[in-house]
Amino acid sequence: MNRFFGMLLVIAATLAGLVLLSAGFYLAAGWLGWGFNALTGWISGSPGVSRAAVYYGASVANVVTLLLVVLMISSSLLTVAERKWSALIQNRIGANRIKVFGSALGGIPFLAADALKMLTKERIETTGRTRVLYELAPMLAFAPVFALFAIIPVGQGIELNQIPGLAGAAAAGAVEQIALQVSRTDTGLLYLFAIASLQVYGTALAGWASNNKLALLGGVRASSQMISYEVSLGLSLVGTMIAYRTLRLEEMVVAQGTPVLGPVPALGLLLQPIGFLIFFASAFAETKRAPFDLPEGESEIVGYFVEYSGMKFGLLFLAEFAEIVVLAGVITAVFLGGWHPILFEGWLRQNLTPFWFAAVGAGAFIAKMIVMMWLQLTIRWLLPRFRFDQIQKLCWKLLLPAALVNVFVTGGALLLDPSGQLLAWIGILTIVVIAVLTAAVGRAPAPAAGHGAAHAAAGH
Amino acid sequence: MPYQLENRPPDLRESMYFPEIIRGIGTITKHFLKNLFFSRDANPDILARKRGGFGHSDNVTLQYPEERAPYAPAYRGLHRLVPREDGKPRCVACYMCATICPAQCIYIEAAEYPDDPVEKYPAKFVIDELRCIVCGFCVEACPKDAIRMDSGEHTPPSYERSAQIWDEKRLLRGPPVSYQYDPWLRRGSPSIPPDKLEEMRARAKPFPTVATDEASQTPGFSVRALAAEAKDRAQAARK
Ligand code: SF4
Ligand code: SF4
Repeated sequence: MNRFFGMLLVIAATLAGLVLLSAGFYLAAGWLGWGFNALTGWISGSPGVSRAAVYYGASVANVVTLLLVVLMISSSLLTVAERKWSALIQNRIGANRIKVFGSALGGIPFLAADALKMLTKERIETTGRTRVLYELAPMLAFAPVFALFAIIPVGQGIELNQIPGLAGAAAAGAVEQIALQVSRTDTGLLYLFAIASLQVYGTALAGWASNNKLALLGGVRASSQMISYEVSLGLSLVGTMIAYRTLRLEEMVVAQGTPVLGPVPALGLLLQPIGFLIFFASAFAETKRAPFDLPEGESEIVGYFVEYSGMKFGLLFLAEFAEIVVLAGVITAVFLGGWHPILFEGWLRQNLTPFWFAAVGAGAFIAKMIVMMWLQLTIRWLLPRFRFDQIQKLCWKLLLPAALVNVFVTGGALLLDPSGQLLAWIGILTIVVIAVLTAAVGRAPAPAAGHGAAHAAAGH
Repeated sequence: MPYQLENRPPDLRESMYFPEIIRGIGTITKHFLKNLFFSRDANPDILARKRGGFGHSDNVTLQYPEERAPYAPAYRGLHRLVPREDGKPRCVACYMCATICPAQCIYIEAAEYPDDPVEKYPAKFVIDELRCIVCGFCVEACPKDAIRMDSGEHTPPSYERSAQIWDEKRLLRGPPVSYQYDPWLRRGSPSIPPDKLEEMRARAKPFPTVATDEASQTPGFSVRALAAEAKDRAQAARK
């Protein structure tokens, strides 16, 4: 019972911490934006408010806070979470032998041990490698992930003068709003597809430049898998683009807050349940993690990274976890209502200052992201890996037709009813059908644990 | 828990993948939340630990070096040479154990007590624990119950092979086990003072005459109880 209340406390503290962290991010963005403005004003000798300077300053702050803090810390924490969460799933304890003052701290000290191990490992490089590409591949695998996170709208935009301490800075509307988003581009989702397709270069080049047959096979598998899934990945989001009539992620998030059926907000999950499933599956395949981890396979071809050692391998390894974070961010923004806290949203909006409401929203975004990361790790521990032909079959015979049908159904529904209510009803119907199919009895259930007590005996 | 699965091709619902996957997520989530919110029962009595049910996680991990499972009473652990009440080994250097040992890992050098005309003792008694196959024949063969494997512990690991060669100084340990017909108790010995001898005689157990005698067994292990259980079972089966 102690643990039960302790866990509730940890969860509550995490949520509160996320809100405070987001408040800090907003402060950093606002103050750095204002500082940049003052700096440019001082250099050019013309005091006043420069839109571009504020925007660049806020973006630089966001690069540091979102990319370096949120993305990097959560992806490295995921390496520990993978061990601990899989242990919880499998009734184990997980990594707990490094103790700090007698407490395992949830395995987090293992991060330091891992980093130390990766950094001090022997560097082995094959002589037959193609030097430049070999060195470039880990970076190429890692960089697109970073670039992808730049368009994730973690927090909504607020006026510069709503940030504490900057009340007299600039009148509302005089400068760009301060948002927790590195870059607000019109291309939005197209940028996402473009950068996501660059990811394949990292793995393919790593396999090719290693001058190793097995690594080459891994790279070829990776490229064939990722290129196939890009098709369904792109098509799955066309439905959301039609439904929200925009490519910009931040506008999609705003659109998801408007009610569509009575008080129910127009969440992407509600309007596009099929699109969500297809996008989740395809993006999961893009991350190259089990059950889609064909590019690596300890028992057949070791993997595209077989010739990498030390921190170079560490980068390739960490890139997968960073992809998980980015995928969680995209799903949250497109399908789960982004920074909308959903629960008590009206009350929060009325009773909090815009600054704190935005901070709560960004906290909600990161909390949703954590749930989506958890879901991805859960699926990784749920499913055995596919065979290669099954992977291609799933993509071309199941996901792609379903995505095409989804696009046409979405378009047709919006043509008949531009308010989106028909689409919402279709979405609800789909969710009900999926729920019924899921609840329908499959194979005979497992027999009740009759002799379970015997397994509790020592040594079992 | 393993159970038999029907072997048939997937039906339409199963070949849609997603319903079954969502179901699997449900199962996994149940385990996850249970193990996240409830702690492992850390009862030091390992066999009485609870798992599953409300308020306990499904976890049964033994945190090995800190928590250990009790071994069965018949567990064959590290050898020990049983001392007498006066601290000398019970062993009479008869070479029975060395003879029966299939791994030939017992080496004995016999010597005679200067103050005793009858008794021998092992001047050297060496067991190579690396070669020992832990068969327990030496324990069975010993006529004096002088070598036992009832220590309940593993051979401790070492950095050198030589540390695994156990000599009589390291082997001679643990509680003495004395029997009424022990020659030392019957004859006495110049090395044992008379009052000490009386005390030893008073404490001595009757010598086991049958293999199932409890005194001949490792502590806590009752062959009689097992035999009674087997008899009950046989009777129940006959009815
Ligand atoms: S247990 Fe078996 S192998 Fe080991 S010393 Fe005794 S007789 Fe030899
Ligand atoms: S231990 Fe027992 S069998 Fe072995 S030499 Fe001594 S008395 Fe004989």
